[in-house]
Amino acid sequence: MRRNGTTLTLGHLRRLRTFIPALFLLGLLALFLSGCDTDTPQNTFDPKGEVADKQADVFYWSMWPAIVIMTIVLGGLLVIMLRFRERDPEHVPPQVHGNTRLELAWTIAPAILLLAIGIPMVATIYDLGRPPSEDAFRVDVIAQRFTWEFQYPEYTDEDGKPLSVFDQSGFHIPAGREVAFYLHSVDVIHSFWLPKLGGKLDVIPGRTNVLWLRADEPGTFSGQCAEFCGLFHADMTMKVTAQPQEELDAWAAEMLQ
Amino acid sequence: MAHAAATDHLETSTGIDNKKLLMWLFLASDCLFFGAFIAAYLLYRGRSVVGPYPEDLFDIPFTSVSAFVLLMSSVTMVLALAAIQRGNVRNMRIWLLTTAVLGTLFVAGQVYEFTEFHHEGLSLSTNLFGTTFYVLTGFHGAHVTVGVFILMSMFIVSMRGGIQQKDSLTVELAGLYWHFVDIVWIVIFTLIYLIQP
Amino acid sequence: MASIAVPKRSPLSEALKGARRAAENSSSIWSWIATVDHKRIGILYGISAVVFFIVGGVEALLLRLQLAQPDANFLDPDAYNRLFTMHGTTMVFLVVMPLSSAFFNLMVPLMIGARDVAFPRLNAFSYWTFLAGAIFLNASFFTGDILNGDLGAPGGGWFGYAPLSLREFAPGHGMDFWMLGLQMFGIASLAGGFNFIVTILNMRAPGMTLFRMPVFVWMTLVTSFLIIFAMPVIAVALFELTFDRLFDANYFNAEAGGNPLLWQHMFWLFGHPEVYILILPAFGILSEILPTFSRKPLFGYAFVVFSGVAIGFMSWGVWVHHMYTTGLGTVANSAFGISTILIAVPTGVKVFNWMGTLWGGSIRFRAPLMFAVGTVAMFTIGGLSGVTHSMVPSDYQQNSSYYVVAHFHYVLFGGAIMALFGGIYYWFPKFTGKLMNEPLGHLNFWLMLIGFNLTFFPMHISGLLGMPRRVYTYNSDMGWDFWNLMSTVGAFLIALSVLVFLYNFFLSLRRGKESGPDPWDARTLEWSLPSPPPEYNFKEIPTVDSRDHFWNTKYREDETGRVVPVLAGGVVEPEEEHGDDDEHGHGIHMPSPSYMPLIASIGFPIVATGLIYDYALVPVGFALILIGLFGWVMEPATEED
Ligand code: HEA
Ligand code: HEA
Ligand code: CUA
Ligand SMILES: [Cu+2]
Repeated sequence: MRRNGTTLTLGHLRRLRTFIPALFLLGLLALFLSGCDTDTPQNTFDPKGEVADKQADVFYWSMWPAIVIMTIVLGGLLVIMLRFRERDPEHVPPQVHGNTRLELAWTIAPAILLLAIGIPMVATIYDLGRPPSEDAFRVDVIAQRFTWEFQYPEYTDEDGKPLSVFDQSGFHIPAGREVAFYLHSVDVIHSFWLPKLGGKLDVIPGRTNVLWLRADEPGTFSGQCAEFCGLFHADMTMKVTAQPQEELDAWAAEMLQ
Repeated sequence: MAHAAATDHLETSTGIDNKKLLMWLFLASDCLFFGAFIAAYLLYRGRSVVGPYPEDLFDIPFTSVSAFVLLMSSVTMVLALAAIQRGNVRNMRIWLLTTAVLGTLFVAGQVYEFTEFHHEGLSLSTNLFGTTFYVLTGFHGAHVTVGVFILMSMFIVSMRGGIQQKDSLTVELAGLYWHFVDIVWIVIFTLIYLIQP
Repeated sequence: MASIAVPKRSPLSEALKGARRAAENSSSIWSWIATVDHKRIGILYGISAVVFFIVGGVEALLLRLQLAQPDANFLDPDAYNRLFTMHGTTMVFLVVMPLSSAFFNLMVPLMIGARDVAFPRLNAFSYWTFLAGAIFLNASFFTGDILNGDLGAPGGGWFGYAPLSLREFAPGHGMDFWMLGLQMFGIASLAGGFNFIVTILNMRAPGMTLFRMPVFVWMTLVTSFLIIFAMPVIAVALFELTFDRLFDANYFNAEAGGNPLLWQHMFWLFGHPEVYILILPAFGILSEILPTFSRKPLFGYAFVVFSGVAIGFMSWGVWVHHMYTTGLGTVANSAFGISTILIAVPTGVKVFNWMGTLWGGSIRFRAPLMFAVGTVAMFTIGGLSGVTHSMVPSDYQQNSSYYVVAHFHYVLFGGAIMALFGGIYYWFPKFTGKLMNEPLGHLNFWLMLIGFNLTFFPMHISGLLGMPRRVYTYNSDMGWDFWNLMSTVGAFLIALSVLVFLYNFFLSLRRGKESGPDPWDARTLEWSLPSPPPEYNFKEIPTVDSRDHFWNTKYREDETGRVVPVLAGGVVEPEEEHGDDDEHGHGIHMPSPSYMPLIASIGFPIVATGLIYDYALVPVGFALILIGLFGWVMEPATEED
């Protein structure tokens, strides 16, 4: 090494190395502490409706096994690195070429595990993938770069035209009742996403996708366009307020004035 | 080849000539090119919102004839290869030229067809049919044109004595390409012209 | 069709004789421009890829600066969009793929005991066409008013979803440069794919059966097959986009009845195999490094090879996992959900077999090994978050969020890039004769590992807190500030590690320790050659008698089953004798340098420029391509002497 003209030696680094991981863990801890107390209006871990709830469950089914496997692999690597590090530069270990039984085991075991989480996953796909129920409250969502418009066919004016709302912070839906969003795009692809109520569904020109959600309790929910749609994609946000049916009716009546 | 270059193994690990293997791989890959264009055509079949529609334009007898011409060119290609394998350079030349002429006829037929359709109001941007039809068949036509170009180059080289019996592989490779382009046309012709929903 | 013998006085080859002679002089710049030597082409690929890595990395740093704080004004939205588009496109197509190609080129012929690839000039053509496409794509920056912050680059995201990519929504020429540049890149990749398949199938040394090939060669083979079947699909999609943009066709025009999802299906039908095109070469590199530094053969060779092949096949059946949220219905989502989670099985086999390789070994902590082990760990994290994506209902929440950004940087950076860095540390001595500096290598590794985790781990959290990707800014009441700041800090740590790498690279080039032919006591054939290997690689083509042929010349088992060194083992080919005037050395005829591939390649950007600006250029470009191809076919592959 000296010939390279650097003053760094492996010894220096080795000393550094022992406390780098410690620093790293400390940093992570700091991350969690400071991250936890902030307000998080689009937090997917904080579901406020049936759909988001079930989706979070599915996430946990895969997250916990993933954490276990991660621990096994990373921990395993750590153990191996410590235990089998070179001690004698002359030593050549036995040349093991494999072990068919073992290899079959770690082929089959993950497959079984995956099917075990995959089958309930399919059940949830069908559960959430059903069409909206008969008495769902219909909202037609019209996406246009870079705004949302909500139309309420349940509330019409004298000419039979549905109530239409453009104010992105002033959308309203009923709480405790299923809402069926009919998604229309007039230009490019957008994606309709209210994280605390449920996952997203794309809004595609020439095609009407239908998403149903339900807010368990009244409240205001933050949402955002989740498919890149051009210049101000980031600003295509919305606030949706869920309120009891009577309040909603009153609000609509007022809006129709 | 004047010299056996270091990379020009006479013997390959599989026993298949490098260039032949290359050609097979190219054709396999080309299948996906055509496959993707054909898939787009089929996906959009019957979805055009305005006319003209295929049934307004297709002249099946005419296209059948030009398909037949292309089919015949495969036969003459086989004859060209057989000739050079027997060492008959003169016959090879004749058959190569015939193949090229038949190919040109096919392309000419396509040009005629395109202009006809254009007159009747079908352009690339008229509707989905125009888009998918012109691009798919045009892509095939481009293949035939390249084939004709290769055949003509070989014809010229052979006039200067550049293709002998030992070079029959070159003719074989050109033949592989040519037959492939023919087969693709049969598929396209069947799917687009013959099977109409 | 190159075997047409040409009369000696062909005017074309006569005119080029002089230029070719200039290229024969192996120190002149022309010898690089006209080179058909796989090692030089590999080096060219490698250098280009590293340059573009810096370009793409600087783009990423700009993105991170903008996102460091909420409501920032460092970049305007337009510049931000163009930068992330170019960042993604650059990293995927101009960095990871060419860097993998660099290793294919450098290693495959040496590993299978060949003197070059099957088609050396086609190989040069691949490189130049790739470079033409890469430069063309980046030239788009200058079509705007760059000095006033108006970048002309494409801004539709690296997957360029229609209809956003159509002229109506993406005016200007950025998108044209994108689609035509990628088209050139596709041609280059296809040519490379064909070449390596033929090389691997046909050019193996006697005794080098398929199941004696190093795993890296196997992964190259699988990758090349993926390339020749996946590239046509994206090429057709790009053709369709080209027709829509330039000639008013209707492929993606919803008003004419076109279906915007057609683009997505085609892009991801290509795109998912593509991500394995990006990772399989890295898997191959890991499978070479880990055995060498644990002094054991790869654990379960057959399983590792077959799982690689299985991944290749399965990668064709999972593309809809990028489209779960497009509303394709429960049946499609269920089927593709199950196929996607199952792809974890063959990948897991590899991870466990690598652990099995290390287990019981005598592990030497050299820089290549550090990178390799780091890769296994980081890739596993990325793969596991991939599995959480594949669980359809939870992906409805994750899709298009920073959680996805975290996933793919773990597999792309933590998987592909880190492994490729390991590969550079591992094979650097082979091609320079110098060892890279070890302490700097370790520093590079630790900085990179820490910086990487600091950058991308927080993205899991910001993503699950609902932060969408591709937003040029965000509001400070969303709770994302802290995580984004971390990511930005981490990104600069990565940049520091890259600077350490560059310093190490140039330092070692100039003043590195002599490595000798086999510095790592390795197992594969390339280490039996002098470093750097002579132009013709093998003076005598070796006859291979086992998977561990070279290793077995160095070690054997004694009566008790212990592994002992063979006395005077490790027969290494002697250095080239100097004073031998025969340039080709030992009368081995290597293919002559040629300008033809370059000439043909230059035609492509001219055609593309013509399509965008002035049709008059199109025939000019085509003429160049034709001249190049014609000259190529006509000139003899080896100069007669
Ligand atoms: C190198 C590239 C690479 C690789 C290897 C992978 C590997 C995988 N990817 Fe990833 N992916 C990308 C690159 C890659 N991906 C990119 C670039 C995107 C985003 C594109 C964009 O939108 O811009 C993406 C997006 C993406 C999505 C879409 C997300 C969305 O947009 O909504 C999904 C969904 O299923 C997914 C899944 C997977 C899976 C299941 C794997 C699997 O192959 C992973 C398998 C590996 C492991 C699981 C770890 C090791 C295994 C074990 C230790 C065994 C035991 C494990 C279990 C039993 C679980 N990926
Ligand atoms: C292999 C692929 C790869 C790699 C290596 C990287 C590397 C990095 N990526 Fe990226 N990334 C993608 C592939 C990749 N990325 C893709 C496909 C997308 C999606 C794009 C899209 O949505 O369309 C994406 C998107 C993406 C985003 C999301 C943008 C958005 O959605 O709004 C972000 C944000 O932080 C990001 C950050 C980074 C960072 C900080 C790095 C860092 O690791 C970079 C590290 C490198 C450097 C920092 C260079 C250092 C060198 C120097 C500084 C040298 C100095 C100069 C001289 C000496 C001359 N990437
Ligand atoms: Cu609308 Cu993004
Ligand atoms: Cu994928």
